[in-house]
Amino acid sequence: MRLQGVVRYHRARDTEEALSLLAGYEGRGALLAGGVDVARSPRRDVEGLIDIAGAGLSHVKLTERGGLLLGATVTLTELVESRVAAQYCGGVLVETLSLFSAAPLRNMATLGGAVVSAHPWADVPTLLVALGAELRWTDGMERKGSLEGVYAGAFRELFRNAVLTEVRLPPCDGGFAFYKLRRSAADVAMLNAACGLGVAQGRIAWARIALGATPTRGRRLPWLEELVQGEVPGAELWEEVAAQVRAKLDTGDDRRATGEWRRKAAGPLVARALAQAVERAR
Amino acid sequence: MKIQLELNGDPHYVDIEPGESLLSLVRRLGAWSVRSGCDVGDCGSCTVLLNGRPVRSCITFAAKAQGGSVTTVEALGTPQALHPLQEAFLEAGAVQCGYCTPGMVLVAYDLLTRVDDPSADHVLRAIAGNLCRCTGYRKIVEAVRLAARRKAEGRWR
Repeated sequence: MRLQGVVRYHRARDTEEALSLLAGYEGRGALLAGGVDVARSPRRDVEGLIDIAGAGLSHVKLTERGGLLLGATVTLTELVESRVAAQYCGGVLVETLSLFSAAPLRNMATLGGAVVSAHPWADVPTLLVALGAELRWTDGMERKGSLEGVYAGAFRELFRNAVLTEVRLPPCDGGFAFYKLRRSAADVAMLNAACGLGVAQGRIAWARIALGATPTRGRRLPWLEELVQGEVPGAELWEEVAAQVRAKLDTGDDRRATGEWRRKAAGPLVARALAQAVERAR
Repeated sequence: MKIQLELNGDPHYVDIEPGESLLSLVRRLGAWSVRSGCDVGDCGSCTVLLNGRPVRSCITFAAKAQGGSVTTVEALGTPQALHPLQEAFLEAGAVQCGYCTPGMVLVAYDLLTRVDDPSADHVLRAIAGNLCRCTGYRKIVEAVRLAARRKAEGRWR
C-alpha cells in the first residue's frame, strides 16, 4: 500500500455526499470504489479516501432498444457473471472482461475505476471506445459525453472533481470481437484490439476499430475504418488490413514490447478481430 | 477508525488506520499465513477470501472489510487436521519454499467451490495471478486436480 498520509476514510451514501467530501479536501481527496488503483497510486498528497461503493451506482440494465446501462461501481466479476451483460452484443463485454487479469483483481476492480484510470495497456478503454460508450458524471451538475471525447480532453483533471456515475453502451447491431496479445493469462496486454462491423449485401457497411497498448491507450483508427467500409470481407481484405496497419500504425517501445514488434503484430491482430466480428455480424 | 469484521469465523471490533491495508490488518490479528510479497497486487501471496471471494489483501483497504468476513488458510485446516486441499498439496509435492502456498490454496479453494472437475488449463488460468517463486506450477496443478477428485469422492469440508 503506497498511500501513507491518509487521515480519514469516508463511506459516501450518494454522489452528492461524495462530491461534498471531495470538495472539502481541496484536491487532497480521492474517490474509490474497489480501490485497486487508488491503493497503487503514486500520489503522496491524499489525505481523505471517499468510498463510493455504497452510493447506489452498481446497476446493470439492458435498455428497451438493446443498449446497456452500467453503474460505475459495478465490479468486473459482477459483470462477468451478469446474465444481463452476457446478452449484450454477443457477449463481447463479458468475454473481454473475463480476460482481464486474475479473479482476485476482477473481484475488487470496478468498471468506473478502469475507465477513469485508463491505463495505456488496459483492455476496457479499447473495447468501450470501439463500442461507442457514453459516460455520465456529476460535478454538481449532471453531465454526459462520449468516452472518446472525454479521453481527448483533460479527463484526469476532470475526474479529480467529479464522480463518474454510469457507462452507457449503445444498441449493438453488428458483430464485435476483442483480441489481446499477452505472455500469460494474468498479464496485461502487449497489444489489444476491439473491432466491430456491420455487413449488408455482402459488404462491410460500417466499422469501428480500436487498438490499444501500442503502447498508448486504446483509440480508434478512422483511416482503417474508412479503408474497410464498402469492401467485401475475406482473406484478401484482411491481408490488405494487416499490410496497411504495418505501414501506417504509430507505435512505440515500452518494457513489454518494442514498437517494431507492435507494428508487425498489430495488423494480424486487427485482421483476426475483424474476421471474427464478421462471423458474429452475419 | 473502528471496523467490525469476522476473521476465520471469529468476530473482531478493531481500530484500523484509514489507509491501512487488509494485509496489515489480518496479520495484526494473527493470520500470519497471509504473506507480504510485491505489495502492489501482482504476486498473489497476500490472497485472502473477502466475503467468500479471493482478493489481493495488499491493495485492499482494511476499511473494505467492514461488516464482512475474511477467510485465510488458518480457517481451512490445522497442522493436526489438514483440509483435503492442503493434503493434496502435500501429496502432490506442490509445496517447495511455501511462500506462495497459502495464496495458491485459497485461489484453488475458490476454483473448486465453483468448478467440480477443472481441467489443467482451467487450473492454470485460476492460478495465473499467483506467482510461485520456485516455479513449481506443474505440481500445483496436479494438486488441485487431485483435490477435485477427492471432492468428487465426498472427501471435502
